[in-house]
Amino acid sequence: MTSSSQVIVVGTGVVGSVIAEHCLDAGLEVLMIEAGPRVSRAQIVENYRNLPLGAKPDATASYPPADWAPHPFHGLEHLESTGPNKYDPTYIRYAGGSTWHWAGTSWRLTPEDMQLRSRYGVGRDWAFDYETIDPYYNMTERKLGICGPADPADQWPVRTRSMPYPMPHLPLSQGERKFTEVMRDKLGLRNVPVAQARNSGMPYDDRPACCANNNCVPVCPVGAKYDAATSLNRLEAKGATILENSVVYRVETGEGNRIVAVHYYDRDKTSHRVTGEHFVIACNGVETPRLMLMSADDRNPNGLANSSDQVGRNMMDHPQQGYTFTTVEPYWLGAGPVVNSGIMETSQGDFRADHAAVYFRLNNFARNRDIAKRAMSSGKVGRALDEEIRRLTATSLNVVAAFEMLPDPNNRLTLSAQKDWLGLPRPSVYWDVGDYVRRSSAEYSNPLAQRIAEAVGATDFKPASPEKFSTSKHIMGGTIMGNDPATSVVDRHSRTHDHANLYLPGGGAMASTACGNSTITMTAMAFMAAEALVSEAKGA
Amino acid sequence: MTMKTALAFFALSASMAAAQTFPDDLVERGRYVATASDCVACHTGPEDKPFGGNHRIASPVGDIWAGNITPSTTHGIGNYTEQQFADAVRRGIRADGANLYPAMPYTAFAKITDEDIHALYAYFMQGVAPIDEPSQQTTLEFPFNLRFSMIGWNLMFRDTAVHRDDPAKSAEWNRGAYLAEGPGHCSTCHTPRGMLMQEDGSLHLAGAQVGPWFAPNITSDKDAGIGSWQKDEIVAYLATGRAEGKSQAGGSMAEAVSHSFSKLTKDDLGAIATYIMDVPAIGGPARFGQGEAGNLTASFRGIESPDLSDPGKGAQIYSANCASCHGYDGQGTQDQYYPSLFHNSDTSGAGVNNFVAAVLNGVDRKTEEGHVFMPPFGTQPNAFNSLDDGQIALLANYAVAQFGDGQMTVAAEDVAMIRAGGPTSNMVRNVRILMAAAGVLVLIGTVVFLRRRKTA
Repeated sequence: MTSSSQVIVVGTGVVGSVIAEHCLDAGLEVLMIEAGPRVSRAQIVENYRNLPLGAKPDATASYPPADWAPHPFHGLEHLESTGPNKYDPTYIRYAGGSTWHWAGTSWRLTPEDMQLRSRYGVGRDWAFDYETIDPYYNMTERKLGICGPADPADQWPVRTRSMPYPMPHLPLSQGERKFTEVMRDKLGLRNVPVAQARNSGMPYDDRPACCANNNCVPVCPVGAKYDAATSLNRLEAKGATILENSVVYRVETGEGNRIVAVHYYDRDKTSHRVTGEHFVIACNGVETPRLMLMSADDRNPNGLANSSDQVGRNMMDHPQQGYTFTTVEPYWLGAGPVVNSGIMETSQGDFRADHAAVYFRLNNFARNRDIAKRAMSSGKVGRALDEEIRRLTATSLNVVAAFEMLPDPNNRLTLSAQKDWLGLPRPSVYWDVGDYVRRSSAEYSNPLAQRIAEAVGATDFKPASPEKFSTSKHIMGGTIMGNDPATSVVDRHSRTHDHANLYLPGGGAMASTACGNSTITMTAMAFMAAEALVSEAKGA
Repeated sequence: MTMKTALAFFALSASMAAAQTFPDDLVERGRYVATASDCVACHTGPEDKPFGGNHRIASPVGDIWAGNITPSTTHGIGNYTEQQFADAVRRGIRADGANLYPAMPYTAFAKITDEDIHALYAYFMQGVAPIDEPSQQTTLEFPFNLRFSMIGWNLMFRDTAVHRDDPAKSAEWNRGAYLAEGPGHCSTCHTPRGMLMQEDGSLHLAGAQVGPWFAPNITSDKDAGIGSWQKDEIVAYLATGRAEGKSQAGGSMAEAVSHSFSKLTKDDLGAIATYIMDVPAIGGPARFGQGEAGNLTASFRGIESPDLSDPGKGAQIYSANCASCHGYDGQGTQDQYYPSLFHNSDTSGAGVNNFVAAVLNGVDRKTEEGHVFMPPFGTQPNAFNSLDDGQIALLANYAVAQFGDGQMTVAAEDVAMIRAGGPTSNMVRNVRILMAAAGVLVLIGTVVFLRRRKTA
């Protein structure tokens, strides 16, 4: 059993894997510790196909959690939610992490997204500007294999790219093209191709091209979408050791408040201690702050990295509201990847001083799954039912409004009195999407959605309730980044202010959410952390 | 450039080796000959170092490392005279007099004309960037480490005759015969070998196992060979690596298509097709046209536990690993980028080795049509899923029964053999026979050597 390693990375998701590979390439010794099991893609695919139709839209239903590594799952209590709104993200504690079931959407932040405080007087500014992160976005796009439009008119953000995307964007389906034209002609809005971590028309990273199974969530059945599970064998070939089914429950400090070891339970509840020189905790924005709080010791009575009292606070997400409406003309969405285009320009503007920005995502999930029940409840049978399913599949559209959210210290993750299978305190989150978001829904997003619905000729638009928001799986803020140790947990390299050899990279470090999915920003920050770690290791 | 000036260069080159300047059009012609000969496939290890050697060739007698054939004067062939170069390519003899192993297909290259050798030399001296790095040395076990043991083998099996046109045949046929039997060295893989690893001329192009892959029968037999193919199908296959609804190139044929055939002129591909269609038929089991679309999904979906480690799960292993591209019923895509598994030579009983090899090793080929890539299912870092021998056997048996002719069953041991690089039983047998024969060869070689010294 491995009992020490130069670098210890807890978590095998995209952030942990990218850092591990960077360290391995630099010649460092790397041990990766994963709480959950390591499973084959084939197994997930068959889990999914064996689900009853009603369970298929649930992104986690194909990933039953191990007893020792619980994650949000239908019928299982793990993450508690308190407060006015329901906090209900999905994430997966499996080797490979939650990129198993991400859509692959890879929007970059804009320069403005990183300066909310100085530009609009709300939220926080980032510890660095866009020019600083830009090269790491380029590295991310190459590492993950992100396809995106070559035409600047279709690119987001609207600015000259310093490097092109490594692959052209995936073609828009017939329905997406039609939607794009209608948005342009009737509303003057740009519905642009989504940059996404998916092999577009060619193999990349020794993985095959996308063949349009329209199954990106919950799992790409061919590995054309990047997920961290695709990189684990390669990391091992480069020398990494990966321990699965090993739940780190305590990070141990030593002299100078440096980290000296992590402790984990194996699946038999036996505890093990592993020492190291450099520590990366990349367990996602819920499990990382949870572990910091669980690791409280005499030196750090409020939990590790928590001298600022910000660990677990500022929890953020992209609260979302969905609109489904029926058109007269057929759109036939569902060819290609599940998210392939969207309207990003509604996410920028001086209005951000007053209310949240919003991004409209045109979902491209094949519609038949969602409308089948609706068609059956119409009372039609036989051929009439078939025709109704066909009609609704062709003419129903699903557009999702995804809001940005401000860091609020009251949105806080704490340790519950309830314990999990191993006897560890479950995470609990107080959740209030905030007036900034509610105002946007009422004054900005709902009216915009109505105009979109009218433009496509919808006959049954219903505004979203300004009180009801569902949760994205974009977990941000709980180990927030900043230059001031008094008000933030990690520095610009995702290194904790309190522990010189402890990195907490990932969504938790993000200081603003903007509207775009968080993974590529997390990954770019992971590269920044990896560079800092390697230079420290080499300098030592 | 006229033949006279070419010959003048030829004469000059004998004494001046690498120092000379060849005209660009000659170098370009040499590049084409090198492409037709697919030198790059074996002589390139790391992709960014073309012709730098360091490419491992698994042979029944051990790993043979293809050498650095760049014009490096320290580690390549930069000091070769044209005569030394010609002897290496057509006779299998290095400049230092040592024998090459017949992994270098000099028995086929012997047919390359003087003009083409000259162009090839010009290309390698001037059109290839020198790489001043050593290639891995080949170290075979005794007695194969004694390179002079090949002298006897050459005496018995090497035909040094350069290609001559058959006046009874068309110019196109002759061009095809030259390309297929000379530079293209089809027989190197497609002709079965005898006890001493020599090509068995009586079974010319009748198909042979080469490592994990079976290089199939490409004679004009209608069932076992490719006699049922139209000329344009053969041309399309060579250009793109696939003949729709029939066959796809994998393994070293995928390399040959990517590096060589796809870059030849359509006229030359047509010539090769014309010649190949005229190769005398040699019969065997049928390879095409069998099977139909179908699936057994209803037998397990929603009923059984999807634990894929359970035995008897061929259909579900197919569903989990293959169906997302090849279709739940094996029909592939309309454009056949993802080929159908019925009417496919790999699911005929005769071709099932290649089904297993494709699953284990994946498929990788680049042509003007794009990059065809099927991920491997072995233990590679990028394996889609590491299937074990038993699972692949279940899968192969499902595929052959469901989509093929059901003529063959695959056992886990068969998969293990292909995983190990080829049918071990044959290999061991051949090596043992070769070991015994080697003693005789050395003897013959020594006798010949002594005789030559006497007469010298």
